[in-house]
This record gives sequence, structure tokens and C-alpha cells, in this order.
Amino acid sequence: MHAHCSILCITPPHILREIARNGTPAQQEVAQRTLLTSASLQAKRSSMGGRLAASLRAIVVGGKDRTVYDAKNGTSLPGVKVRGEGDPASLDPAVNEAYDGSGITYDLYLNAFGRNSIDNNGLKLNSTVHYQKGYDNAFWDGEQMVYGDGDEDLPVSERLFNRFTKSLDVIAHELTHGVTQYEANLNYFAQPGALNESMSDVFGSLVKQYQRAQIADAADWIIGEGLFTENVNGVGIRSMKAPGTAYDDPVLGKDPQPGHMRDYVNTIEDNGGVHINSGIPNHAFYVVARELGGFAWEKAGAIWYKALTDKLQSTSSFTDAANLTFQAATELYGSGSLEEQAVKTGWTEVGIDIGVPSENEGCFTSVMRAIGFIK
Amino acid sequence: MMKILFERTGGFMGRKISLHLNLDDLPSDQAGTLKHLLDEVDFLNLEEDKSASLYARDAFHYLVRVETEKIRHSVHVTDLSMPAALRPLIEELSRLARTKNSQ
Repeated sequence: MHAHCSILCITPPHILREIARNGTPAQQEVAQRTLLTSASLQAKRSSMGGRLAASLRAIVVGGKDRTVYDAKNGTSLPGVKVRGEGDPASLDPAVNEAYDGSGITYDLYLNAFGRNSIDNNGLKLNSTVHYQKGYDNAFWDGEQMVYGDGDEDLPVSERLFNRFTKSLDVIAHELTHGVTQYEANLNYFAQPGALNESMSDVFGSLVKQYQRAQIADAADWIIGEGLFTENVNGVGIRSMKAPGTAYDDPVLGKDPQPGHMRDYVNTIEDNGGVHINSGIPNHAFYVVARELGGFAWEKAGAIWYKALTDKLQSTSSFTDAANLTFQAATELYGSGSLEEQAVKTGWTEVGIDIGVPSENEGCFTSVMRAIGFIK
Repeated sequence: MMKILFERTGGFMGRKISLHLNLDDLPSDQAGTLKHLLDEVDFLNLEEDKSASLYARDAFHYLVRVETEKIRHSVHVTDLSMPAALRPLIEELSRLARTKNSQ
């Protein structure tokens, strides 16, 4: 949450709009940011009306500010600048994928939720491609997105992974880690960590659906589509529709994600299984979107966004997320609404009942549970 | 006798890969390369645990353990906490582990 501490805070919106259009460049910038911030806060209190989103689009000038850097197979970040906002396309597909992917992600957050970039304050979207050699991964470092080229250093017959910019939802996933950092700031361990990962998958998938103009029923709900080479028997890294079915391969093994609380995996590895147990809230979101139909970002996405930005806290558990998304649906669409019922159905299908008090665990208890010391 | 255990966990996929090497069993050039990389970074005197950036997400975590008759020393690092001098060793072990895991 960010606020501008200036006289503009108390200036009526119609005057701010005039300043945004006719002021000096510096006045325009401050007025635009103030309008965005207050509009975003209003959007969080309302049902994300299309009119608001349209007025936001009209006033944002230069809000999207992307820069792509090339690490040239090294590890110094950010690397050498290779493409800035508005520059012509590069000959390097990884550069263009990072540029275009962060752009469409920015667009979804702005147009659907009234959010101006990662921090809701126009933070620059910096990406680095060609990180290290043989780096089959992508990550968010707290300030920017970083992408490797997969197994490009191995013989073709041994390669498992393509470059990580190839998948739009991976780009949106990493950028969303930034949004989460500025909002609920979910701890990166056990259930809060799995929720953190799930938020990135949810908005990652929504960005892909938004780009393709797909309704929920038409979407594949696959995370990391296109990352595997043809040597792998799999369609992607994770499936939100059917967790545990994305791949089954002699080398990689079987997708380990559960889609129900009865299959929750207690482990100390991977920060307490954050990329494994995220299958549970992922599937809950999928069910909500399936129940509501239409474009998933419009209702299911709005509910999850409100929970992420207004309700969830750093230690939130799956039960908290269930109760808080239910609350968000009530506030956005009303008590007894179809949307509220859809959220209840989503969490019920993964074995979590709405209305059950949360057992917020301390760090020690989470670790003990993760290693199987307590049930 | 010198043994190396290497594990890489985390990442976007959350997949673990690992490698157990006994340098006595490796071709001499490969064993020599690894010994050279260990010496270059003065591995046995490296700090055991370097914590990650507070906000890093999806980065890899690495464990390297070296055992001889006299000493056993482990080092935990992430992509972001890794000392530059350690990177060539991690890259080589990662390559060997990815090659092994892809066969």
C-alpha cells in the first residue's frame, strides 16, 4: 500500500485529472500517480468496475517502463541493457519474450485490477535474460526478474528444458512474486510459502488466458507450457486443473503436486514444499473459476486479488486463505452471492471448509510439521 | 579418498537433483578438474551457511559436502548468496548432475 503525502491527497479527482492532462510534466506525473493510487484503493473497495479500469487506462501515460538486460551467461545483475521501453524488437527472442511478457502482465494488472506495476506505484519492470550457462530456472531476486536458457549447454538429445522466457506464465509468475512482496508478503516457507507460490501461478495463468482472450473452460491451466523439450513426457511444470498430472517422465519422475489436503506433503526441502503443496490452493482457484465461468480474471481473479492486497498476511495458512477469499467475495459481490458460493465450493473440493478457525502456526511448529515431527 | 555430495533444490519447479562422487573412481582429468576448483575456492575454509536474500523467490539452493579421511565440510548457498569464487565449482557440479539426471 502506498500513499502520496502531498496536497494532491486532498485534491478532488476531477481537478487531478485536469492536472494530469494539462500540468507541467512533473505535475502530470504526480497527479497520475495519485489518481492511480486512490483509484486502486477504490477498486479494492468496489467490484472492479469496467468504467474505472477504462478511466485508469486513459490517464496512465508512460506507466509501463520495461528494461531488458543480458547477463551474457554470467551472473552479474542486471547485466547489459539490450532493450528499453519503446525500443524496436531485438533479434534475440529471449529479449523480446521478456519484454512482451512483462508488458502483457503489466496490462492485466492495470486493466483488470487498476494496479500500476509491481508496487502499484509504477515500479520499473527490469528483466535479465541469459543468466548463467545451463541454467534451467527463473527467479525473482527481490527487485527484478531473472531467466536462464535451460539446458542449452547439453547435447540436444539430453536437454530437458528450453529457455524460461518461452512460457508467458513463467514471466507473469515471477513478476507476481514482486506484487506479493509489496502486498501480503507471504513468508516463504510451508503453507504461507505455498500460498505465495500459488498466487504466482494463479496470476501467471490469468495473464496467459488474458493474452489469449480465453474463458475459463477453454484454458489449459498449465503452468510452464513450452518449458520442456521434446525429450520429456509432459505438458508443463504444474497443472492447476489436475495437480499431479503435468508430467510423468522416466528422467523427471512424476509431477508430485497434491490437489487435496489429504495428500499434503510434509517436507523440509524446497522451503517446506512450497512448489509442491501450492497445488492445493491452485486447484481451489481453478474450481472457483470453473464455477463462475467467463473470463477468470474478471471475478475469480478479482476475489483473489482483493485477498492478496487487502486481507492475507505474511503468516496466512490455507485455512486463512479460504476464509479471506470468502470474505473478499462477500465484500465484492454480496452475502449469498453466486461468487461467494463458488469460493466455498473451490475450497471444499480441496478439503478445506470455510468458517473453520485458523490455526496460525509459529515458525517452530511449521518446521516441526514440515519434517514430520508432529502431525 | 575424497568424496563429494552435491544437491540442488528449489527453483521454479522445486525439483531436487543430486550427485555423489568418489574422486578415486573418476577419470583422472575429471577428478583433477574438481580438485582444482575446490582448491581455487579454498573450499574447506568457506563459511558453511550463507543466507539468501530475504525476498528471493524460486532461486536454487545448493549443498556441497566434501569428505576426506580427516575432514568433512559442507557449504549451503543460493544463487544470490553464492561467493563469486565458488560459482565455477557449482556450475561444474550442476552440469554433471544435470547430465547424470538426464541419462
